[in-house]
Amino acid sequence: MDFKLRKAEPADVSDILRLVKELAKHEEMEDQVLLTEKDLLEDGFGETPFYRCVLAEVQTETSSDAETSSGSKVVGFAMYYFTYDPWVGKQLYLEDFFIMEAYRGQCVHHSSSSSSLSLIMTRIISVCVSGLGIGSELLRHLSDLAVTCRCTGMMFVVAENNEPSIRFYKRRGAEDLSKDEGWRVFRFDRDSLLRMATPTEE
Amino acid sequence: MDFSIRAANVDDCKDIARMIMELAEYEKVSEHVKVTQKDLEQDGFSKNPFFHGIIAELPEPQRTKDGHTKFGYALYFFSYSSWCGRAVYMEDLYVMPEFRGKGVGKALMSKVAQLGMAAGCNQLNFTVLHWSKSSLDFYLSQGCTDVTTNLGYHCMRCEGDALKRLAQP
Repeated sequence: MDFKLRKAEPADVSDILRLVKELAKHEEMEDQVLLTEKDLLEDGFGETPFYRCVLAEVQTETSSDAETSSGSKVVGFAMYYFTYDPWVGKQLYLEDFFIMEAYRGQCVHHSSSSSSLSLIMTRIISVCVSGLGIGSELLRHLSDLAVTCRCTGMMFVVAENNEPSIRFYKRRGAEDLSKDEGWRVFRFDRDSLLRMATPTEE
Repeated sequence: MDFSIRAANVDDCKDIARMIMELAEYEKVSEHVKVTQKDLEQDGFSKNPFFHGIIAELPEPQRTKDGHTKFGYALYFFSYSSWCGRAVYMEDLYVMPEFRGKGVGKALMSKVAQLGMAAGCNQLNFTVLHWSKSSLDFYLSQGCTDVTTNLGYHCMRCEGDALKRLAQP
């Protein structure tokens, strides 16, 4: 089966949301997805995009005309954006990476304990072992994009108990900054963000 | 202590570069800093900036012994969660040692939070070194959670030759 990668366009937001939710549903976390198509449209295709997206598309068997998008199906996506490391400059940050189950190769089973971090595990595991080569090509495409845009690195987050994926990325030269250099990810959620944004008297 | 918090402009890049180096020295990795003042000017203050800055500044008469008025900074950029949407990432937060413990770090972070919320963000994310106890204590006291400990998220990076290899067909 042939596939192609292409840049996402505004009309693709329904497919992007479908894939985001499909992954979440697979992990029984669909209620965690709060984004709507409208959010994705404003945030990805407005004046200042917050994210960029590459889609993987296959031609379906009923395809008879290459002029329009009919006969093609979006089966995977990678969501990314550019970040900045003040020591070494521009980075490409890989936020999401997913291919529909039917278009992957064999699927490695991960830990059965369900948690939000297992979403990342599933996404990356599925890509790693894609028999159609979609995942590998997506990763290659993103790496090439990073180099072309003069990024000095590509960054992403992996759950620590996702050993197959960590091994996969380390084999390809990725460093685990949390393990090797002691970096810990911290987060303020919306409520604490609001508290912090409100000036208080010293 | 009298000070002001304001958005950084291109003329601040010399002081930002100085303080980036001071922060790297504090983290014991100053040899890793490759970004120059010129890089900061191009990357932060061109048409499509890759980061934004906030500066903490003293009034002129209160210059430091080395003649500086700019004594703290925060660098941030916007990011995205495929579940929650817009987020802000605080890349650096630094206050010169002699000015710590006076609420400046909190004021800088508060400004980043305000700007993030004004842009519609639902999260503020950043990373902290595990051995930096005073930093860890400060952030936890401000109400954030340690996602690495709680959810096991590890930051990964593919760079340099490894990135180039990955980009090859």
